[in-house]
Amino acid sequence: MANRGGPAQRPNPQTQGKICQFKLVLLGESAVGKSSLVLRFVKGQFHEYQESTIGAAFLTQTVCLEDTTVKFEIWDTAGQERYHSLAPMYYRGAQAAIIVYDITNMDSFGRAKVWVKELQRQASPNIVIALAGNKADLANSRAVECEEAQTYADENGLLFMETSAKTAKNVNEIFLAIAKKLPKNEQASGAGSTNQGRRLQELDGSPKAAGNCCK
Amino acid sequence: MAKSSFSKVDEYGFERAADFDYESYEEYMSQYLPILARRARKWARLMGNPNSLKRGPVIKRFMRKGVPAEHRAEVWLWASGATQLQEKMGPNLYRELLEETHDIDVVSTIRTDLPRTFPDNIFFNQGDQSEHRNQLFRVLCAYAHHNERVGYCQGLNYIAGLLLLVTKSEEKSFWLLKVLVEQILPDYYGPTMEGVIVDIDVLGELIRLKAPAIHQQVTALGLPWPVVTTKWFICLFAEVLPVETVLRIWDCLFYEGSKIIFRVCLTLIKSQSSSLLACDDFGSLAAAFKSTTSASSTLNCHQFMKSIFQVPGSLSSSTISTLREKISQDRHNS
Repeated sequence: MANRGGPAQRPNPQTQGKICQFKLVLLGESAVGKSSLVLRFVKGQFHEYQESTIGAAFLTQTVCLEDTTVKFEIWDTAGQERYHSLAPMYYRGAQAAIIVYDITNMDSFGRAKVWVKELQRQASPNIVIALAGNKADLANSRAVECEEAQTYADENGLLFMETSAKTAKNVNEIFLAIAKKLPKNEQASGAGSTNQGRRLQELDGSPKAAGNCCK
Repeated sequence: MAKSSFSKVDEYGFERAADFDYESYEEYMSQYLPILARRARKWARLMGNPNSLKRGPVIKRFMRKGVPAEHRAEVWLWASGATQLQEKMGPNLYRELLEETHDIDVVSTIRTDLPRTFPDNIFFNQGDQSEHRNQLFRVLCAYAHHNERVGYCQGLNYIAGLLLLVTKSEEKSFWLLKVLVEQILPDYYGPTMEGVIVDIDVLGELIRLKAPAIHQQVTALGLPWPVVTTKWFICLFAEVLPVETVLRIWDCLFYEGSKIIFRVCLTLIKSQSSSLLACDDFGSLAAAFKSTTSASSTLNCHQFMKSIFQVPGSLSSSTISTLREKISQDRHNS
């Protein structure tokens, strides 16, 4: 009986609003802070030296919009170039992606653009892509100008924010902005799970309200 | 709860997690310590006679029952063929590699990963002055320049780091890393990681044959095997299973080869089959897989190592090599 969409078995324990589930993948060069953004968003924590991710890690987090609860299935990937051959497995079927670069590292911005192109070519056509210029707390060592990234994002129809997993700046905001942009009225089939009627677990540190998501 | 006699840091320098179950650990260690003492006596007798290290059923059993910490470095070097290789290639290779001029991109990639390797280990988390961290840098850098095709692949940092903790020697770690990457494992760490991708498919096929219900469940819920198992293969269970269990696995890996990895994977998956089969969606299945590696059964390394030779059933080297060949051929044809 288990099909890819999964059966909607349980009644919604929270009667208000609907619940949507989306698959989100994080991509970007090694050591730009992908895992740190996820750790900040899911657990509200930050480790100065986050272990390098091998393969991929899977986490979930829920955000509440006005009338909708959005549950993210988050795939955090390894950044080293040679892991690239595994990447399509992670972004296949993803409805959202955060492509991360490090504002102090110009090469990582170049790598981010390569990821954008690859997703535009190979991922689901309606994928919502956000560009995150992480390590915004290190603005003194900035190598990528905010305006340059903003212009690039505008030209490519991407959400864009400079973030800091360390100070938490714009971390919840970027996920909320994605949540707002995702379509809520259709089956979120690519997540490999049912999008409605699932029992949701409220996690610590979950953002309570939708803030102003644009900078 | 009574205060545990076990420290917050284990014998290899890893800080125990805040939720570490000291009570169960103490109970388990009370059974394991006499076993360790018995194995130590047997190995001491064996190592006392220089001619007794010969491949055969006795040593194979000894390796499966665990090599005492004090003999691990020597026994791994012998069992893996690293000693012979070192004699053949000359004793100065490692030193010469360190003296070479190093590629700045490779150096910077390795440097980025140094503070991100075992940040929960007291030998590695003492900042840039940490001697272990410097040793790790030199081993990885020497190897990356020795084998330029492989260079530095993320994951090797954990393997070399653990080798350093066990052997306490850069040079021994270098040679063991070299035999692992070039002889024991098929092309896991090359530029496309082809060997890992093939072996993950081999595992999928073995699960289909040996645990069809789980295979069906995983396929139905749309969870690709690599999502679950990539790290198992690349890190050889370092940073996946408890450290003593990893070292016991490596005792067998150095002697018996990469087949052991499949035994461990199959055991982890089969022994958690009821919780895996109870999942009804992708997310809970992924979480259930994550918990297979933290199940209490993996902490009891002696029992766990017994189970890897029982739970998966028969598994011949020829089965593995046939599957590897078939899968790589299919990949090339597609």
